[in-house]
Amino acid sequence: MSGAAGSGAGAAGSVGSVVRRFLVEYGSGTPSRLKVLDAYLLYVLLTGALQFGYCLGVGTFPFNSFLSGFISAVGSFILGVCLRIQINPQNKGEFQGISPERAFADFLFANTILHLVVINFVG
Amino acid sequence: MAAPGPRLRLAAAISLLLLLAGAQALAPSHRLTSRDLARLRAALERPFADVQAAYYSIVGLDSLGVRVADEKAACNFVKSHVDSSSVDSLFYAAQSIRVLSGCEVTISNETRELLLAAVSEDSSITQIFHAVGALSSFGLPLASQEALSALTARLSKEENVLATIQALETASYLSQQADLSGIVEEIEDLVARLDDLGGVYLQFEEGIETTALFVAAAYKLSDHVGTEPAMKEDQIIQLMNAIFSKKNFETLSEAFSVACAAGSLSRNHYHLPVIIVPDGPAAVSHHQPVLRLQVTDVMSQPLTQASVKLDYAKSASSKATVLQQTPFTLSGDVFELNFMNVKPASGYYDFSISVDGDKRFIANKVELKVKVSTEVGITNVDLSTVDKDQSIAPKTTRVAYPAKAKGSFTADSHQNFALSFQLIDVNSGAELIPHQTFVRLHNQKTGQEVVFVAEPDSKNVYKFELDTSERKTEFDSASGTYTLYLIIGDATLENPILWNVADVVIKFPEEDAPSTVQSKNLFVPKPEIQHLFREPEKRPPTVVSNTFTALILSPLLLLLILWIKIGANISNFSFAPSTIVFHLGHAAMLGLMYVYWTQLNMFQTLKYLAILGGVTFLAGNRMLAQKAVKRIAAEQSSRLAKYRTLR
Repeated sequence: MSGAAGSGAGAAGSVGSVVRRFLVEYGSGTPSRLKVLDAYLLYVLLTGALQFGYCLGVGTFPFNSFLSGFISAVGSFILGVCLRIQINPQNKGEFQGISPERAFADFLFANTILHLVVINFVG
Repeated sequence: MAAPGPRLRLAAAISLLLLLAGAQALAPSHRLTSRDLARLRAALERPFADVQAAYYSIVGLDSLGVRVADEKAACNFVKSHVDSSSVDSLFYAAQSIRVLSGCEVTISNETRELLLAAVSEDSSITQIFHAVGALSSFGLPLASQEALSALTARLSKEENVLATIQALETASYLSQQADLSGIVEEIEDLVARLDDLGGVYLQFEEGIETTALFVAAAYKLSDHVGTEPAMKEDQIIQLMNAIFSKKNFETLSEAFSVACAAGSLSRNHYHLPVIIVPDGPAAVSHHQPVLRLQVTDVMSQPLTQASVKLDYAKSASSKATVLQQTPFTLSGDVFELNFMNVKPASGYYDFSISVDGDKRFIANKVELKVKVSTEVGITNVDLSTVDKDQSIAPKTTRVAYPAKAKGSFTADSHQNFALSFQLIDVNSGAELIPHQTFVRLHNQKTGQEVVFVAEPDSKNVYKFELDTSERKTEFDSASGTYTLYLIIGDATLENPILWNVADVVIKFPEEDAPSTVQSKNLFVPKPEIQHLFREPEKRPPTVVSNTFTALILSPLLLLLILWIKIGANISNFSFAPSTIVFHLGHAAMLGLMYVYWTQLNMFQTLKYLAILGGVTFLAGNRMLAQKAVKRIAAEQSSRLAKYRTLR
């Protein structure tokens, strides 16, 4: 009914209500551990976007530096997403052999390698 | 009875063809000139180092027909340095003693036994060769049949070229009653093994020394058995070219081998290569009407017994035969022919010369190019100014070489300047067409010069005409007084001419005159090239990038705020040693990343990372394991609590 009312009220209204609903569900439904991770992911995303925007604005002069920073952001984001998927209790069925601690250790190891390469490339 | 006529003609035709074929044969390109001989002698006349060196020197010089300087000292040296227990040493001594006159030696029985024992199937071919040679040179009896069988047996085992050559030499010491035909056939086999280099040289891949030794051995054996060696004339000439191409001798053995080859090629019974070279340049003229030829053997010794004949002399341009079947006369060591007797026109002639007198002669027909020079004279030199409108008759002035015409001639827009002359051979009066007939005009003031070619017309009268309107580009329209020179030259002229004929005033129309005549100086400095350095890339101003750096830190701030808001609890932080070590290790790894960025290279970083990473891993493992245990315990207790409440 709310959906029908939303669609009757207009596109903007339906989008707004969907978003509100999502926020409420998210706030209540996700364990705090995952929310901490999500905050980290948001931070990484913003950092990457800012870097990209700067590059578009002032040019790619030290291209290797830009690439290394951007790839660091992108790589960290991906690794964070992988960690989030692995420690989500709802996905427990698919990751039988991997405990959350193991997932975290993998996350740290992969990050170390990523940042080793990034620091090598940043110049 | 009409048969003899055509048959005779046919025979003549075939013999002519053979003559031509012979004329096309290879001519020797290398020989031992007197200078080469002197060098070879010097290489051989070194003081003796040992018996082998003495052998090379003494026998080598003997092949060249030269006696050793001090025969008595050489004899004493050989006798004192011979080693009676070595077959090789005995061979060298024996050969040297045989060549030296007045040198006698007695051979003990043991030496004889040693030498005879060496002639067997168990010795190498070199041993057999040295033993047979020593026995023969000492005058000791030798069983030729046994030696021959030993040699044949060894030859089938030792297939290399040097061994075969030594077998040939050995056979030349054996009695003629023995059947040496098997060894003689080896000559043909060896010839087949020679390498042909460009059709000019024929040599073994082992080198010149081996080739020279082969030639000497082949002729020695052929003379001994009395059969002609199986080598074709072209092959012998190619062998000669290869052997005598070596002018500097690094080792005594090399010099010895070349000396032996030279000696054998000038003294054997079958083939005597003949070298025919002109004495000085192959040119004749009225001052030097005689063509002189040196006809020698390979060692530059004149063959004064030969008869040298000119088969034909043809003009190179017209192919007309000027002279044929004329003999050369011997004068001292050279053969002469007065070619100017037939009054040939100047130019080049192809001579075909043949040398006869000994049926051993090979390479005895050569083709020579002979130049006949003459002197040129300029006649009927007429300088005239021709009016363009043809209204006034041309004024002609005659000039005689080498005088200069008096007065000057003018060439301008109304009149052209013309020059005509004839060139004749002073000695015969015939008209000449030399290669170079140039008219050079030299501007006295500016130093410009312009050169034209005077062309002959159908009557061989040279004409040159200067039309100012046609030629102004060559002159750059520079008016003035020009000196006129006539340049006549040719390879067959003995007196090339550079003659200042007259002065010509050339006037070009004023509107075409250039302001100044620029002399083209090629050697001024060129304009400097400005090097453009690579421009640095455009960078944003420091303010912008600093602002951005500060801006980049803002998401971090946001992250901290969010974490506090969400309530990330750090209250569970247990101060267990593994936890502390883990966190410290992790912090150290991050610090290492910074240090890597500023100072280290990859290898050092990996080294430190391995240590830190290892430590952190172990600590982290323990820490996470403890956390896992706690988590599982918590889950179990909550499940138990739920179970209890359900019950």
